[in-house]
Amino acid sequence: MRTVVQIVARPGPGGRTVLPVVRAGGQLAVRRTGAASVHLVATAFGPLGGDDAEISLVVEEGARLAVRSVAAAIALPSRGEPLPSAQRIRATVAGALDLRLEPTVVAVRAHHQAELTAHLADGAVLTATEQVLLGRSGEEPGRWTGTTRIERAGRPVLHTTVGLGPGEPAWLPPVAPRAYASTVHSAAEGPADDAEVATGEDAVRLPLPGGWVTTAWGTELHRVVGAVDALSPAADLRGTA
Amino acid sequence: MTSALLTLADSRLPAGGHTHSGGVEQAIAAGIVHDPGSLATFLRRRLATSGLVAAGLAAAACGAAAERLAALDDEADARTPSPASRTASRQQGRGLVRVGRRAWPSPLWDALTDRPHHPIALGVAAGAGGLAPRDAASAAAYLSISGPATAAQRLLAMDPLTVAAVTARLSPDVDDVAERAVGELPAATDPLLDLLAEVHAARKDRFFAS
Repeated sequence: MRTVVQIVARPGPGGRTVLPVVRAGGQLAVRRTGAASVHLVATAFGPLGGDDAEISLVVEEGARLAVRSVAAAIALPSRGEPLPSAQRIRATVAGALDLRLEPTVVAVRAHHQAELTAHLADGAVLTATEQVLLGRSGEEPGRWTGTTRIERAGRPVLHTTVGLGPGEPAWLPPVAPRAYASTVHSAAEGPADDAEVATGEDAVRLPLPGGWVTTAWGTELHRVVGAVDALSPAADLRGTA
Repeated sequence: MTSALLTLADSRLPAGGHTHSGGVEQAIAAGIVHDPGSLATFLRRRLATSGLVAAGLAAAACGAAAERLAALDDEADARTPSPASRTASRQQGRGLVRVGRRAWPSPLWDALTDRPHHPIALGVAAGAGGLAPRDAASAAAYLSISGPATAAQRLLAMDPLTVAAVTARLSPDVDDVAERAVGELPAATDPLLDLLAEVHAARKDRFFAS
């Protein structure tokens, strides 16, 4: 099934943000849950293998948008031939976007492909998180491939593809984690958002121009998320509702 | 044309690669690499991520114009967020430019900055040496494991024949990576390698530069 979500955030009167476009079709609905925040609500099980979701987010200059979801997404295998499920998020940001969806759980035999492509204007602020768990409780791990590409003013800032699960290149014992989390923050270049390298146990923070990317992996998702949060400067909470 | 490729991938080419372990030194310190089997796993992991990325960039840089080379250097930065890995790549790029200019004189070298990423310099060297993008990808893929394998041999005092066999058995994987890299700019990353690179760079007692 094909899912399409489109949201446009625009500066309104009195410095507030209005959402002139909120459209959703397929397996996701969008609920406005604040002046500048929306929650994505799954309207069906899945995604299933073969399902394809395209989420388009536009945040105009002077506007801010927070995107959340109400529950973890559970990626399940297709019934027939093995096909991956896909979720592509395309963000065009001149204002501030804060994207924090609930975890993706990838069931055994499922392969989920997540993609975030963000085109940032010079003054844009982006914070995006990813939380992944391979396999439900007592289940063998599924497979997850996540690609993040962030461009600022047309220049690439970050472009990485992480593959987790059986058959993925960076997933070989003894380092084959079931849980993975990452947060990326990118703001206009300036000392306020700079961060030095920091390392933890199975966790690392790397600097970006005007931001940082923090990644952690391990066995249990709540610990991994805690490790990412411990290395993420508080700056990521600014600029959003 | 084959001999230029052999020269480019030869560990005796004085480009400074021998001072880098590609994360192996820290992987040994962390207990991840300790014998031929765990070395093979580590090399496969490195080949499929940073090796694939390097092969894609090298292929794209082979025969590219100056503007494209600058854009590819940005793409290399975006795929190498670890400052320690970036430094290692640019040090090796610089070393390769120095020897490459002498070995394969060409106006192509003038399009590069002083410290390009290693795969970009490798692509330019391949182009200057009359090689094709696929050859540049092969050299990049092979070099992504040959240096680290030698480093492991030295650090663990492993049997050179065993290490040579480990590397040789990865040949089909090297060919596969080079084949997939041409015409693409893969972005495969391994957060473990980033962590190892940063922990290693902070150490005072290291033998290798990376």
